Amino acid sequence: MLGFPKILHQLHIFQAGGEFYAADLEKARVVELSAIMMDTLKLVETQTDDAIVETLSASYEDDEISEAFERFAELEKEGLLFNRGEDLRYSFKTESKWRKLLVVIPGINVDSFFDIETVSAGTNMALSYMIRHLVEYTDLHFAGSRNRKITNGVYEVDIGIDDLIRLRSKIAETYYGILTLHQEHDRWLLPLYQYPEFPPILVQCHAPRGHAGHAMNSIFRHYAAMRDCDGFTAPSDYVRDFYADYVWDPSFFHTLPNGVDSKLFRPMDKAAAKHEIAEEIGDDRIEIAPTVGYLSRVQSEKGASVYLKLAELNPHLLFLIAGPNLGRYASRELPNNLVYVGFHPREKLPVIYNAFDVYCFPSMSGEETFGLTVLEAMACGVPPIVPNFDGVPSVVGDAGLVADAANFDHDVATLVSYPCPVDFSVKINSLLNNTEMWDGFSERARQRAEKFTWHKTAERIVKLFEMLHQKKKLINPNKLLNVFAPTPPVEDEESQELKCRSVLLSMNANYERCLMRDAVYPLRPEDGVVLSILKNHTPREAESILAELVADDTEAKAILQRVRGLIDATT
Amino acid sequence: MVSRRRYRLKRHHKFEQDGHKYVADLETGDLIQINDVEWEILGRYESQTRYQIVERLKGKYKLTTIFDGIERLESLRQQGSLLSPIVEPVAPTRVKDEQTDRVPKLLVPFHFTNEKTALDYLTGLNRYQFLKHLSAFAELETLAFSEIGAEKNETPDFDEVRVRNLRVPKSNALVAPWYALDGYDGILLLSQFLTDDLLYYRVPDVPIVHCIDGVQQLRHSLLKTLLTLSAFQHSKDTLVVKASWMKEWLAELGVPVQNVRVIPDGIDVVPPIGDKALAKQHTAAIFEKPMFTKQPIVGLISGFEPNRGAAWISAFARANPHLAVFVYDAMLADHYQHPPENVVVFSADDEETRSVLPIFFQALDLVCFPAMPGTPLSIVLEAMAFGAPCVALSKYGMPEEVAGAGVAVNADWDHFGNFHVSMTELSKTIYKWLQPSEVRGLCEDFSQRIVQRHTRKDTAQAIVQLFAEGLQRETDDFGTQRTLFPPIFCRRYEPETGALKSSVYRLGINRYDDLETALAEALAEKHTSAEVASVFKHFQCGGSVCI
Repeated sequence: MLGFPKILHQLHIFQAGGEFYAADLEKARVVELSAIMMDTLKLVETQTDDAIVETLSASYEDDEISEAFERFAELEKEGLLFNRGEDLRYSFKTESKWRKLLVVIPGINVDSFFDIETVSAGTNMALSYMIRHLVEYTDLHFAGSRNRKITNGVYEVDIGIDDLIRLRSKIAETYYGILTLHQEHDRWLLPLYQYPEFPPILVQCHAPRGHAGHAMNSIFRHYAAMRDCDGFTAPSDYVRDFYADYVWDPSFFHTLPNGVDSKLFRPMDKAAAKHEIAEEIGDDRIEIAPTVGYLSRVQSEKGASVYLKLAELNPHLLFLIAGPNLGRYASRELPNNLVYVGFHPREKLPVIYNAFDVYCFPSMSGEETFGLTVLEAMACGVPPIVPNFDGVPSVVGDAGLVADAANFDHDVATLVSYPCPVDFSVKINSLLNNTEMWDGFSERARQRAEKFTWHKTAERIVKLFEMLHQKKKLINPNKLLNVFAPTPPVEDEESQELKCRSVLLSMNANYERCLMRDAVYPLRPEDGVVLSILKNHTPREAESILAELVADDTEAKAILQRVRGLIDATT
Repeated sequence: MVSRRRYRLKRHHKFEQDGHKYVADLETGDLIQINDVEWEILGRYESQTRYQIVERLKGKYKLTTIFDGIERLESLRQQGSLLSPIVEPVAPTRVKDEQTDRVPKLLVPFHFTNEKTALDYLTGLNRYQFLKHLSAFAELETLAFSEIGAEKNETPDFDEVRVRNLRVPKSNALVAPWYALDGYDGILLLSQFLTDDLLYYRVPDVPIVHCIDGVQQLRHSLLKTLLTLSAFQHSKDTLVVKASWMKEWLAELGVPVQNVRVIPDGIDVVPPIGDKALAKQHTAAIFEKPMFTKQPIVGLISGFEPNRGAAWISAFARANPHLAVFVYDAMLADHYQHPPENVVVFSADDEETRSVLPIFFQALDLVCFPAMPGTPLSIVLEAMAFGAPCVALSKYGMPEEVAGAGVAVNADWDHFGNFHVSMTELSKTIYKWLQPSEVRGLCEDFSQRIVQRHTRKDTAQAIVQLFAEGLQRETDDFGTQRTLFPPIFCRRYEPETGALKSSVYRLGINRYDDLETALAEALAEKHTSAEVASVFKHFQCGGSVCI
């Protein structure tokens, strides 16, 4: 039994070659219908299963009816014909004046974004904040498997990953852009770039390093495949600067800094905060000794080992760890001055941060594009000490200290940094021993953190989409026709071998004239290859080919620019 | 013949709803939103050619809109929607049947005005004669354009060639090749100035036969022309050169010559005016050179680069003072002011000079010619036709056209007109061949039969046959088969070595693949295999990095 009545998709029923068909306009699919299915469709919106069976049994056998029901069940499972979830047609209509973004993040539980306690990892936390603030500027439709309203301006819509390409015209009509998250093993996104119809696609990317190079290579594929009107966002300039060493056009990487809720994360009475934590875990040393704080997963890549060393080097200080658990360090003998303060809900975190005198961020993962906890600590007026690599120093600015780290820049794929415990130690002590200096950093930390707001982040996303729309308008199709022909030898040249040249033949395949009336326009073969490649491939793909064919980078870049100029000039 | 359609429409249904137009592919279940022009194109796609569709719709839509519409519909095939390629079984008999039913209709684009000044009188005359004879085996048509709204001024038919008068809007973006899509069995190109002509090579399915004269005046651009055409050719097209050494030259340069044919122009030979002695007397009288009645006359049919040719002829004449030398050279006749005493230089520039040429040819005892681009083979053959054996100054051995009628002397020449032959050996050979002998007698007989082997009718028939042959050749069309797993050319970081490489990633199978293969595939979508090969050769030899 199917649970009729059900709301039907927008359908167009027609007959062709003696058969009935339903064109499902919402799914861009056509379904063949038997006579009984046709009769059933007339009833499904108003009658229950039983009533439908009764009506049908006047003209059809029982097994015909059950067969039709089975077929409908199959179609519904595929998302066809019937509306899955709530009927949102009215809601969409009333809110249609708003811009809509389609958010496509496969395998993620949308509800978790709106229940902050269920979110772990800085990346998802940032995404959650960003999404909740984005609603102030645009409606968000999450691609999913049913229609429902999640909260004001936020919906799940019945658009599966497999539907995207088929629904591209409809998506182009409905959405201002597609927002998604780079996940290195995802395969659904790359083919989308091949369709000019889609609105701009903005891909959030994070760590370029680590992961045995997989993250980076995946970004390279996206960079190559994406259209001129797509782009990446990354939390700090560091990601763009990182890729600038590897690709020719780092302008595809847009910095989108995270924000911080500076009303929640604010300076409090430090003694009271320390007292509260000391009470809670039953360790009154917190109220007496100066405290160093660490809030993260307790793992090697987050610098837990370095933090341990710091505790050993500084027995006069108390090193607090706030994190889900102690991980593999739980089974080790830890220095006496290392105190695990437990895992706390988000609203409690400001108290934890305020119980720290300095915030220590010794991560060595090479994946720290931003360092959200650093910003939260700063918002609480806690000066941070961070290692000198990745994106974190750019968040800290002059509001904290940057400690030495051994960077292994050429070893992108594995170990990327070793934060220097001695320098960290020196800097921690210098901060804690100089009240005036500490006050200055604390003040600047708070001031700087207040500049990073989620409103700004959300606003920037909207502006980025506007900019990408501009870029979309500037895209020119390349229809120039060229031919490779041998060119005769020149008399004074030693080698009398034929050389290759490219000849620009005409403006397009439609028998339109070439640039000049009576001339075939000669190009270098390198230019010709790029011209040919740019018919079905992106300039970033031509970049890869040129990098292989032309040894001199400057010359290679000039070729690409020249050919793109030729295309733009002749469109 | 109507240009063949490449795709078949799948079973489909068009409909409109809520102001949107859709087409439902009933075979795949895809529903595709289409625009107004695509809607109209779909309605015509099965029954009309691309030409007809555009011609019918161009009053209503902008040209680019129509072409974009066709392109978008045909691109749906890449996703398996709406269209499937027509796989036509090869039917070799079909062409033959058509031939017996009716003569093929050929488009002969004319824009000879530029060439008139560049071509010598005889080359022009040969073209005219050729078309005249061709019209017995094919229906010939050319295009003439006038603006819509302008005064009606229709170009009348040229003798054997019908004129298709087309009235086009002032800003008509389509050039002549567009009209070749409409009902021709072939396109015959005679021009050597490659302007719009090259665009004809983009007309699908219609075979092209491009005839190239190795004329002296255009020899500076001849090689470039030949190389360009060889690159443009598809399997259905044929490049016709008029002497075997032209084809040998291309082969020597490494140009693929499988679609290059040697078809010499046909020749006309008038009946002799009397015996050779009389012809010699006339010649001596016309040139006021009494020695032409006494000394053996060697006819030199020249195709030399003019500057170097004059010097060579002088040297040759001085080395052989016992000879009278009759030079046929279309350029030197005007410019070579003071040749040695035993030399006369002549060319036919009009009807009158053309009519006396046979007299001179009849007076010749031996014909000598450099077998090189620029030397008109048809004049060599005409000169020999009264029974003179030949000495060919040849780089590639005895040219097949005159084999059996003389001897070859080893010569060398390059692309720039530099010519070299051993004067001693040449003089000796000429001396020997002027003596009566049994071999000479056989060669004289052979020469006299040359005229039977090179009739204008044969040439015309051979050319018409090339169109049918072209159609039967296996197609090497590009752009119809896109690869199943589209490549993305991208960088790849190798964690093991830390190196950044260019690579290619294939969608669908989701793995990296060989860059070279993918690049060849990508280029083959828009270029012939000969072009792709030349690009690869360039980057292996000339490029800084080997791929």
